[in-house]
Amino acid sequence: MAFVSSFRQWAWSVLPWVPVGLYFTEHGYSLGTVNGRSMQPTLNPDSNQLKKDVVLFNHWAIDRCHYNIGDVVTLRHPDQPEKIVIKRIVALEGDVVQTRSPYPDAHVRVPRGHCWVEGDEMFHSRDSNHYGPVPLGLVKSKVQYVLYPLNRFGKIPDKPRGNRVRYAPGHKVYNRLDHE
Amino acid sequence: MSNYFKSAALVLQVACGVQLFNNYVAEFTWCFGPSMLPTLNMTGDIVGFEHLTQRFSKLDTGDLVVAVSPTDPSKLVCKRIIGVPGDKVVIDPVSPHRQYITVPPGHYWLMGDNLSNSTDSRAYGPVSGGLVLGRVFARLWPSPKWINNGLEEIVEFS
Repeated sequence: MAFVSSFRQWAWSVLPWVPVGLYFTEHGYSLGTVNGRSMQPTLNPDSNQLKKDVVLFNHWAIDRCHYNIGDVVTLRHPDQPEKIVIKRIVALEGDVVQTRSPYPDAHVRVPRGHCWVEGDEMFHSRDSNHYGPVPLGLVKSKVQYVLYPLNRFGKIPDKPRGNRVRYAPGHKVYNRLDHE
Repeated sequence: MSNYFKSAALVLQVACGVQLFNNYVAEFTWCFGPSMLPTLNMTGDIVGFEHLTQRFSKLDTGDLVVAVSPTDPSKLVCKRIIGVPGDKVVIDPVSPHRQYITVPPGHYWLMGDNLSNSTDSRAYGPVSGGLVLGRVFARLWPSPKWINNGLEEIVEFS
């Protein structure tokens, strides 16, 4: 009986902190693994399915509507809301993008409140070239650090911007806090 | 000192618990604007919406939903579902030249009830299911009432 009552005491002291932890993983930072090869060579450079990168997701930046060109982000797949994918933001609203093969038009101006996302590995990525510009509301978190393969521990490297995008002169700042 | 710490911890725990409930079960929001006029006021209503239908069942035609605006990620919109994936819908029932579109998989066709003053799927196209936050089930203020699926069957006489 002594064991049961001590367990009960322990549970009562720990359980109230569970929502706090969940809140932190939803609106602060959380860990996750990366599946697939669409972000090679930035993430999962080894195509071996058993070696998966562990990365740090930053939800806090997206809650405050901080979106930058070049960020690696997780977003809900526009056609399958349950599925979450990792891509890089290539262009924001107003930018004109030169598209790649499956997309019907040669050039696209990214509409208001949308972004153009692409995987770093252009041949094995289903991205905006398949499903078009993505509303920024689908973006869930920013991927900033690689944690697990310790030899690549650190900030996720930038990708050269290339010349496929003509950037709009001034992007709307998606940041409510800075305006207030 | 330890008393202060205890009460601060309690406030934090309760706040996070409430937030968790809001995130997974139900929450309320302030929505105003002319786009839902006969159903909701223009000057602002507080409506309650729940996340359970979306998670455990399916949203249906006629449901009132709250969604993140496709044109501005920091704003919410409140619209009615006109088409679910696979439905063939009229793009603009007001225009004399009717065009039809099939709603793509995972998307919904959303429209306001006040067709003459509403920015909806006619402007921004089908809305991805990931943007839909939940189904509106009640108006909390003013004059509280339940809000059900507004779809009415039209009986055709032959």
